[in-house]
Amino acid sequence: MGAPIAMAEPFLVAKGITKRFGALTALAGVDLEIRSGEVLALLGDNGAGKSTFIKVLAGAHAPSDGELLVEGRPVHFASPKDAAASGIATIFQELALSENLSIAENVFLGRELKRSVLGVPFLRRAEMKKRVEDLLVELDAHISDPTAAVGSLSGGQRQAVAICRALNLNARMVIMDEPTAALAVAETRKVLELTRRLAARGCAVVLISHNIADVFEVADRMVVFRRGRKVGERLRSETTPEEIVAFITGAHADVRALEKTK
Amino acid sequence: MIALGKMRGQNLILAILAALWVATIIGLSVLSPAMFNAGTVTNILQFSTILSLVALGQTLVILSGGAGIDLSIGGTVSLSAMLAMLAFKAGMPIVLVPPACILIGLALGAINGLLVTKLRILPLIATLGTLFIYSGTALAVTGGAAMSGVPAWMLAWGRGSISSLPLPFITIALPAFGIAGIVLLWTAWGRWIYAMGFNERSARLVGIPVDRVRLLIYMISGGLGGLGGLISLAWLGSGRPNIGQNLELESLTAAMLGGVAIVGGRGGVGGVLAAVLLLVTLKTGLLRLNVNTVWQVGVVGVLLIAVLIADRLTTHRR
Repeated sequence: MGAPIAMAEPFLVAKGITKRFGALTALAGVDLEIRSGEVLALLGDNGAGKSTFIKVLAGAHAPSDGELLVEGRPVHFASPKDAAASGIATIFQELALSENLSIAENVFLGRELKRSVLGVPFLRRAEMKKRVEDLLVELDAHISDPTAAVGSLSGGQRQAVAICRALNLNARMVIMDEPTAALAVAETRKVLELTRRLAARGCAVVLISHNIADVFEVADRMVVFRRGRKVGERLRSETTPEEIVAFITGAHADVRALEKTK
Repeated sequence: MIALGKMRGQNLILAILAALWVATIIGLSVLSPAMFNAGTVTNILQFSTILSLVALGQTLVILSGGAGIDLSIGGTVSLSAMLAMLAFKAGMPIVLVPPACILIGLALGAINGLLVTKLRILPLIATLGTLFIYSGTALAVTGGAAMSGVPAWMLAWGRGSISSLPLPFITIALPAFGIAGIVLLWTAWGRWIYAMGFNERSARLVGIPVDRVRLLIYMISGGLGGLGGLISLAWLGSGRPNIGQNLELESLTAAMLGGVAIVGGRGGVGGVLAAVLLLVTLKTGLLRLNVNTVWQVGVVGVLLIAVLIADRLTTHRR
């Protein structure tokens, strides 16, 4: 699926990212590269630091130390808006969709296509509908009507709408926080397919998941966090679920060696 | 792009209101055949004008969510009319009375908006406070007396009509509803209002300037109250400090009756206008039948509960 991409120039490089909340160190010197066209999974127990890390990437937290490079240039995100301007979109666990609006309206919410008449921003609905229709077909999302209310969609379909939203913002990197957490089996399949398709389009995808089976199905590379540190990084082709679990629980020899030196 | 389901809900509300309205008219004309003539239509629309403007403001405030409600609207109507007349008595040219009413209304609305968006006071409490301040001040500035002296040209507009349609209704109320309907349905602003009304968190995440929009909407509500105050001057010929009394609850009733969800994000302005006409028709009819005022209020309450039950039943079936 994604083996040759490992050679590509990284889209984002994190160097020594540290985040402290008062006396608590949530992240300690995390180095990470994220490549275009690659699905990178972040794994780890609750409180391991993966959520804090994606919040730094998404611009929600400023790192206490370390630097972020996007396409080789150092960036400083003061807000999620700054991250979005650099092409980084985050799909939140709660998806941030408005159920009373249609799919097309949600995809364009806050960035509507409009025609200004005397300063009044009238919506260009036909165009928005067409764009969303195309995106849905491209993602093979099996949603036929972009004017349907989001409130009538299933959990997996809502993920598809959220992904459409990210694509429509021309995101170069999409962060997905537990996209399959509350989904039925068939829906989970669909969302994993969507994730692969997103990478195939050339997006860098960062995925947080607790489900090791899902991760092994979709990710090209896996990074394990433990107690605020990156304790392991493996290509999927070079590892096994057992090894990853050992990293997560701290039973892995590398982790023990690392934690001894601390 | 209103979703089909919601469209059904809105159309259902309109259908119920239309049916109730026809039933009301039939019932009243059976009880008192002489009641319905061109004069009554003018009368009903005349009484509807101020309530419809205020109900429109109330609707926008509720739609935009955040537990939005404007209880001060009646006080805004009274105080904008009184202050504009006071300024006129103090030497302001009379031609400035209309813009003064609107500007004062906008300013009073801005105070509500700032209390809600900047100080984060719950709208119910913030506007309850300003209701007492505004209506109390309206009474205090003249010690409760009315202020006369409205010029003839304003009265000619306020009391005039074209083929039994009152001028203020067709020149102010109808255009206001038309503009609001267009903005809500066909502009990005309208989508933002629905989005923030339904799910404020997601609206903020996508970058909608929620606080700015909300402040503006409280101002618009105040401005519509100011227009109501202006119409009261032109219609009655004097500034009355208690003209806005009960408007907050009547406008709230009209909005609920018109299918606006109290939690925000659902509803439209068409139903609200229909609800205002129904309410005023009913009240006028009961008045003509010499029904005690106490019962009039009761009938409005029963109507509100009945429509809400009908709405709830159909929502569950969907």
